Amino acid sequence: MPDERLDGYAEALLAVAAAEGRSTLLEDELFRIGEALRHNEELLAALSDSRFPIERRQSVVEDLLGDKASAVTTALVSMVVGTGHGGHLPEIVDAMVARGAVKRDRVLAKVRSAIELTDDQKARLAQAIKSSTGTDVEIRVIIDESVLGGLVTEIGDDVIDGSVRHRQSQLRENFG
Amino acid sequence: MTATIRRLAGAFGLIGALTVLSAVPASAVGETPGTCIFEKVLEAENDYGSVHALEDPANKDALAAFEQELDTCEEAPSLIIPEIDEIIWGGGAFLILFGFMWWKGFPAVQGAMQARSEKIAADLDAAESAKTQATTVLADHEAQLAGAKAEAAQIVEDARAQADLVAAEIAARANEEMAQMRARAAADIESARSQAVSDLRGVVADIAVGAAERVIKSNLDIDTQRALVDAYIDEVAASNA
Repeated sequence: MPDERLDGYAEALLAVAAAEGRSTLLEDELFRIGEALRHNEELLAALSDSRFPIERRQSVVEDLLGDKASAVTTALVSMVVGTGHGGHLPEIVDAMVARGAVKRDRVLAKVRSAIELTDDQKARLAQAIKSSTGTDVEIRVIIDESVLGGLVTEIGDDVIDGSVRHRQSQLRENFG
Repeated sequence: MTATIRRLAGAFGLIGALTVLSAVPASAVGETPGTCIFEKVLEAENDYGSVHALEDPANKDALAAFEQELDTCEEAPSLIIPEIDEIIWGGGAFLILFGFMWWKGFPAVQGAMQARSEKIAADLDAAESAKTQATTVLADHEAQLAGAKAEAAQIVEDARAQADLVAAEIAARANEEMAQMRARAAADIESARSQAVSDLRGVVADIAVGAAERVIKSNLDIDTQRALVDAYIDEVAASNA
């Protein structure tokens, strides 16, 4: 998918979220949906499979999201799938959250955690990262049970891995 | 050469003497006792019609004369001493023949003998030359044979030296290959040992880490998870201080 088109869709999603006045919630829901699709290749392939009618693919999206996301979020995802770009939804969402963070003069920080973080934890983590990088960051949490415990923070190409999984890997390497 | 001529002259003289000695008396030339008797018998038969007619007593004298003639016929002529005229004619013929031979035969024979002598001498010279040449060729052949033998000996020696060199190279190569094989075997053994140790460590690590995971998971309740998150945040914050 060309960058111009991808940026266009990202900008459109941001505009709708802003118009709805729930940018934070909608961006967060879209970010979680994008991460879920990124790790579910079969579903991602089905959403972009032209052998299925667009209406069928959109009904799958609506069935899957249902009450797990807001109606606006479901409508936005269904819109992207309806345009035939469902297979690029993770990239579109990445571009959207990155552009949204930039608009707020912040840097996107993807945080993987086995549990949901509280607002206080997010704020303290953002403050700690700001102290490290000198830049305000916008925390986006990805629930990933494979980290077992702790957090893994990705800011651009930098990774701060404080997960139990990482400790186990170090332990395994020390044994080796 | 002179002796040869002398021998030829002697031979001709001997021939002449034998010719003279073999001459018969003139009276006996072409007449033998048998012939004489036969002629006498023919004469008697012509005179009396038959020889038996002489037995007639009337021919008693004729018979006596006939017997006298037969006795005369029976007297053999000399087989050794010829008649004088025969000697004269024979000697003259001999002298003529001898002179002719001396005039024509001797020079021809002498020339032939001279040519033969020269030919023999030339042949002897040629034979000598051939002998010399053969000797030279033989010497050359012997020299070549000796050279060939020396060359063959050198070739054998070179081949032996080459064989020794090849054998040494093969032995050196075999030793080198053996050393390499030993090195490879040692490296393989070391690699296998390292791999076995690594595998063992991996197994031990898996067991230990697996046990640790089980312990951690069993203790990772929500409070512990939050505590781990807080600890992470504090650690990030502390690293910035």
